[in-house]
Amino acid sequence: LSARTEYSNVPEALVDFLRGVRIGVEAGLDPLNAAQGAAGSLPGRAREAVEAVTRRLSGEYEEDEWGFDEQFAEAVFPIFEFLYRTWWRVEAEGVANVPSHGRALLVANHAGSLFPFDATMMTIAIMKEHPLPRWPRFLVLDWAFGLPFLSAFIRRGGGVPASPHNATALLEEDELVMAFPEGVKGTGKSFSERYRLQRFGRGGFVEVALRARAPIVPVAVVGSEEIYPKLADSPQLARAVGAPFVPITPTFPWLGPLGLIPLPSKWRIEFCEPIDISGHPPEAAEDPRVVFELSERVHETIQESLYENLIKRGSAFL
Amino acid sequence: VGSRIAITGISSQWGAALARRLERDPEVEYVAGIDTRPPPPALERTDFIEADIRSPILSRLLPSTRVDTVVHCGILWYPEPGRPPRTLHEINVIGTLQLLAACERTETLRAVIVRGSAAIYGCEAAAPAFFTEDLARQLPLRTRFQRDISELENYFDNFARRHPEVRCTMLRYQPEIGPGLDSPLVRYLTLPVVPVQLGFDPRLQLLHAEDATGALLAAIANPVRGPVNVAPEGTISLSRALRLLHSPALPIPHPLFEPAMQRLGARLGAGALLGDGIRLLRYGRGVATRRLRDEIGFDARFDAVEAIRDVAREATARRIGPDLHPGALARRAIGARR
Repeated sequence: LSARTEYSNVPEALVDFLRGVRIGVEAGLDPLNAAQGAAGSLPGRAREAVEAVTRRLSGEYEEDEWGFDEQFAEAVFPIFEFLYRTWWRVEAEGVANVPSHGRALLVANHAGSLFPFDATMMTIAIMKEHPLPRWPRFLVLDWAFGLPFLSAFIRRGGGVPASPHNATALLEEDELVMAFPEGVKGTGKSFSERYRLQRFGRGGFVEVALRARAPIVPVAVVGSEEIYPKLADSPQLARAVGAPFVPITPTFPWLGPLGLIPLPSKWRIEFCEPIDISGHPPEAAEDPRVVFELSERVHETIQESLYENLIKRGSAFL
Repeated sequence: VGSRIAITGISSQWGAALARRLERDPEVEYVAGIDTRPPPPALERTDFIEADIRSPILSRLLPSTRVDTVVHCGILWYPEPGRPPRTLHEINVIGTLQLLAACERTETLRAVIVRGSAAIYGCEAAAPAFFTEDLARQLPLRTRFQRDISELENYFDNFARRHPEVRCTMLRYQPEIGPGLDSPLVRYLTLPVVPVQLGFDPRLQLLHAEDATGALLAAIANPVRGPVNVAPEGTISLSRALRLLHSPALPIPHPLFEPAMQRLGARLGAGALLGDGIRLLRYGRGVATRRLRDEIGFDARFDAVEAIRDVAREATARRIGPDLHPGALARRAIGARR
C-alpha cells in the first residue's frame, strides 16, 4: 500500500514543481533560480538533485587553480568504485602509509597498455580506505592533454601534465602527488614482460622529491597488467594517430569498442613504508650519486613488493 | 620634483586608462602621450605628441620631453580597423625598436616599462600549469604574434643589458577582459552562442581591465628589472566561465574551429580571434604571479573567477542578438504558452 501512495505522489510533486518554476519565472526570476526555489516542494533526494544541477548549470561550483573539479570527481566516483569493488576486487594494503597531511610523492609501477587505470584505482583506495581521505593528484603523459574529451576529463579528475615543474609546484602546495616514473616504457611493454619493472627514467622524480623535501611512498600495483594484455603493437597505426604506441590485445581492435572493456583481473595494491629523504639537503638533487641511489632503492622496493603481492594474489582472474 | 612620464599608444583603451589615472596623481609632474591618432577628449593635462612609433622622428621628439619613465602601451594584440593583420608585426616589432632607439638618446631616462604579452609562452597541451618568468622560449614559437613578442623581448633585453642605469621591466600580460572593455575576446565571450572546441576545456586566466591598469601603475612606482607576469590569482575553465556569463556553448570539432571562427567572427562581431586565440581556447595557459605579488607588490582586486563575474553582470546589457541560454529559452517558452 505504501508503495502505491509514493507512486501516486510522483506526478503530483512534479506538477507542483513545474508550477513553482512557472510562478518564479513570471515573478521575473531567472529560470535556473526559479527551479531552485521551486525545488523546495520536492521530496528530499529529488530536491537535492535539482538544486545540484541548477547550481552546476549556472557555474556555481568550485574548481581549483589546477582545474581539479571536486564535484565532478565525486560524480564519476561511483563508476570507478564499481570497477574497484566488483570488477577488479581490489585489495589495498598499507593505506595508512600514505601521510594524512602534508606533501608526499607516491611512486608506482605503470601498466595497462590501452588505458592505465592504476592512478584511478590508487585514488579510490585512498578515498575509501584511508582514515583521513583526500584527493591525490596524478601526473599524466603530456600526450593525453592534446586529446579532446580525455584531456578535460583527466584535468577535472586531478591529473596534470607530467613535468618536474608541475610536480614540484603541487608538492609545494602540500598535495599528494602520484608519479609513474616508468612512463610509456611501463604501459607499452608486452604481456610476456608483465611485472618486470622498467628503468625509472633519469630519476627525475627523486630530484623533485629532494627539492620539495617530500617523502617518497613506493606503491606496488598488481592486476593492472592483465586488464589489456598487450600481445603486439602496430607502429603504422601509432604513426597514423600520433600515439606513443597502439597495442593489440586479445579483444582490441578486433571487437571494436567492446575491446575497450578491461578484463576482470584480480588486483592488489600495496602502499609501502615511506622512504624518508629528510637526511639529504635539497641541494642533493644535483648530486647524481644520491639521486641514483634513492631511485634504485625505490625501484627495488616496488619490484620486491610486486613479487610478494603476485604470490599473495594467486590466480590472476579468480 | 615629480616624475615625468611618456606613454605610447595613448589613444588605445589601455593607454588612455593609464593616462587618466596618472593625471590624477599629484606626484606626476608631466604626462606625454604618443600615438598616430588623437587621444580621447577626457584627458586634460596630457601632452599629445602626434607621431608614429615606427618612424625615426621619435628619436628627436622623445629626448626633448625630458621624461624619466617611458611606458610602452603600443603593442597590439588584435588587428583593428585601419590596422590590418600584416601591419601588426611592423607596429609591434619595428615600433618597439624605434622606441628603444629614441630611449637611447633620452638622457633623463630612468625606467622603461613595456606592456607585453604572456603569449610568448605559447599555449601547449604539455605546458607547465603555471609558467614562471624563466620558462619563456622553452617551447617552439608557433604563432606569428608569439614570434613577434619574442623578437621584441630580445631587443628589449639587449637594451637593458647595454643600459644598466635604466630599469627595464617587461610586463607579460594575460588576455584582458572587463565590463567596459571592447576587445575581440570580450565580444567572443558575450556572443549569443559561443563556439568552443569540442572536447577541450582550457584553463584560462583573464585579467580584469581595472587590475591591468593597476599593475601598470604599480610597475611605474616600482620598476623591477626583467620580465614579470601579470595575471589574476587562480584559473577558470572556459566551460565554467561561459556558464557564469550565461553564454551557451556550441561545440565544434577542433579542426573546423579556426575556419568557423574566421567565417562567423566577422559576421557576429567576434572580431579576429586568429592564431594565438585559437590555441588559447584549446589548451589554455596559466602563469605564476609570485614576482608581481612579492617584488612589484601588486595584489589584483579580481581573481580569475571574480573577473568573469564582473563581466557577467554587464554582459546581458551588452549582448548582441537574442539571449539563447537554455534558461532564457525556457523562460520564453513558458511566457509564450501563457
